[in-house]
Amino acid sequence: MRNVSDKRDTPARCGVIACKSVVPFESKKRSLEEVLYELTQSVLADGGLRIDDIDGIVVAANDQLDGRAISIMAASGSVGGVNRDILSTPSSGEHAFVLGTLRVASGHFRTQLVLAWSPMEVASTSEALRLAADPYFHRALPMDEWSAHALQASRIEAAVPDSAIAALHVVAKNRRCGRLAFPNQAIGSSDPDSIAASVPFRWPLTREMIALPISGAVAVVLASDDFIAERQIANPAWVRGMGWAAESAYLGDRDLVSLPGLASAVEQAYRKAGIKDPRKSIVLAEVADTTPYQELLAWEHLGLSGRKTWKHDAIAGTFAEKGKIPINLSGGALSVNPIFCAGLHRIAEAVTQVRGQAGDRQVPGANLVVAHAASGPAMQYNTVVVLGRSSGESE
Amino acid sequence: MSERVGIIGIGQSVFKSRRDDASYPDLVREAVAIALADCKLSFDDIEAIVYSLSPDAMVGIGNAERLGVDAVGARGKRFLRINTGGSTGISSVAAAFYHIAAGACDVVLTAGADKVGECGDSQSVLNKIWDPTYERPLPLGTITMLAMSAVRYMYKYPMDEEDMARVVVKNRAHAARNPYAHLRKPTSIDEVMSSRYIAWPIKLFDCCPQSSGGCAMVLASERYIKQHGLDAVWITGVGHSSESYYMGERMGDKVKADHADAFALAHSFKRAFVMAGIKDPAMEVHVAELYAPFSNTEFHAIEAAGLAKLGESPEKVRDGEFSLGGRIPVNPSGGVLCTNAIAVTAMVRVAEAALQVWGRAGEHQVPGAKIAIASGNGGDHQFFGTMVVEA
Repeated sequence: MRNVSDKRDTPARCGVIACKSVVPFESKKRSLEEVLYELTQSVLADGGLRIDDIDGIVVAANDQLDGRAISIMAASGSVGGVNRDILSTPSSGEHAFVLGTLRVASGHFRTQLVLAWSPMEVASTSEALRLAADPYFHRALPMDEWSAHALQASRIEAAVPDSAIAALHVVAKNRRCGRLAFPNQAIGSSDPDSIAASVPFRWPLTREMIALPISGAVAVVLASDDFIAERQIANPAWVRGMGWAAESAYLGDRDLVSLPGLASAVEQAYRKAGIKDPRKSIVLAEVADTTPYQELLAWEHLGLSGRKTWKHDAIAGTFAEKGKIPINLSGGALSVNPIFCAGLHRIAEAVTQVRGQAGDRQVPGANLVVAHAASGPAMQYNTVVVLGRSSGESE
Repeated sequence: MSERVGIIGIGQSVFKSRRDDASYPDLVREAVAIALADCKLSFDDIEAIVYSLSPDAMVGIGNAERLGVDAVGARGKRFLRINTGGSTGISSVAAAFYHIAAGACDVVLTAGADKVGECGDSQSVLNKIWDPTYERPLPLGTITMLAMSAVRYMYKYPMDEEDMARVVVKNRAHAARNPYAHLRKPTSIDEVMSSRYIAWPIKLFDCCPQSSGGCAMVLASERYIKQHGLDAVWITGVGHSSESYYMGERMGDKVKADHADAFALAHSFKRAFVMAGIKDPAMEVHVAELYAPFSNTEFHAIEAAGLAKLGESPEKVRDGEFSLGGRIPVNPSGGVLCTNAIAVTAMVRVAEAALQVWGRAGEHQVPGAKIAIASGNGGDHQFFGTMVVEA
């Protein structure tokens, strides 16, 4: 942490210098604290760091999924929080990234460790998530997040002809990528016909149009430009732009096919990053895809594909592995869905591409990548992060 | 950035045991409306919102901040929630501070509310903060947790139950002057001592109430404040620090963080003081709003803040040093002992510190106060946030 005399006069440029994920994590032989401790050690090693290099920590977890009233508490020791400045953003894992970035940019911290986790030990994920519904009107319906996502899907189908066909191809695309990215994980079908023909889940979603949640934990380390220069870190993923915003609480107050919050998040991130024509500047993207309809909305709001071209782009493979702008090369949440940390997982996958560490799925020249995360019912929270190989200082 | 961050608007409820007239989002909105009116801004002026909410279970809604999005006017705006347990309120102000210090925003609202008085039994909820295997079945609650701290403090330092009662008497007398406080009836040492034991040595009157109400604050960049000719007080120091999760690691004669004291709170204050350039808080600070939900915890909070040496605060309370009219009034609002709506309790500490240096604290104003400090405690006496607020 900086002393007052060291405080800088301009916002720090912030880069991601380490990144690790465990999706899913071993929960039968490991306590949550052991998982978090091992992940912390692993991400520090990835950045060539020691815990003493960490100025502050931001974590995120969900009390209902953790079965604890203040889930940050268990992390205090295991992530190195003792006698450190540690905060928690239970609204979403990606919000921990946002706050960590703001803290580095403020000049009050040189580094931030950001972690989000999501155990999978609840008897019923649906019941745990249903507790988030309004207790008077929606909880009794019963309304869980899946039902809200399905209502959004049905609204999109009504508003955009052929979006159902596009959605099936999105699932198939992401599952093909998911098999490469997670060869040891059971990935659902990538055949559009069998996806469409699978049993109903929440209409119009079929069981094969989603991936059931699994456990996961994701960690990144953010650092200021002067820390990066001092340590001569070769391949940071610079945060070139960042935006985040919320939608209204009640689904009845929203048009679920329109996301003004996402539009605001994109505008914030692109303005900061200086992106005027995303189809020309963005090399690849990792976007929210708890349902394929979410990914379609992301295509539109990120300026990559309009509603009228969804079907064409989905069938033509514009955003497929070898397409013009690959989207969700990691397989996305349609392949592996570490529910509460799925958003930070998207950001981490984008970071991995920018740092040139994506292995078999690495895109050469991934010098400007966008990550989009969504949380809450029908994408209530949206976060957009633009990451680049250059800090943008001289551009 | 070197630019300062100011507090320009404050809103708080008149805290009560119950607010049957207001839903949970209604309570948040109530505080927000007061804060916006206080700085004469509208929702259109707010660029980001930091939502202050501690355990979801306290309001019986998972991720209850989602239902508060509209109450704080966050539709289509930057929004995130903070939870560090009881310190959530001050952590939320800190998060709002970082939004502005990073140059991302000029005007940020932080707000929240709680209905602790209507949650059934807060101790049943708070038992669930502990490790499910080892500590939860004991059963631990926040009262038994801090009763152990009192016992340990009594073992190490000269403090007895009458000293604890004296803190209650002091804070109730302060709260009687604060129209927003929940428990405003003055009390006596005899009345505190004759109240029933909850967990020895903590008695009923040594405990905070379960309060319902909200709090909101508007923060702005120095540039915005000057451009718009606004009145402000300034956040000059911010710090956080944490202790271990397991309380057993704070017990014994060789531990680093003794459960009698507040090791991480002292470190948190140290960070805030370095940032604010305060070298001798006992000489420089004019007033303190310190998070102390049970009477005994005010002693180690005073000491962690550097206002007294370890073990010396009971004597100084006896001498009236920390009463209104004393050398450094501590909790002139009545403090957490008189009002505890957990999600915003630590925000109220910052708000009251700001009102003091602003000269707007009314009947509980400390004359001439220009430097105030505030603190918040969360988890199992684990997370600590601190701030310095100056005129």
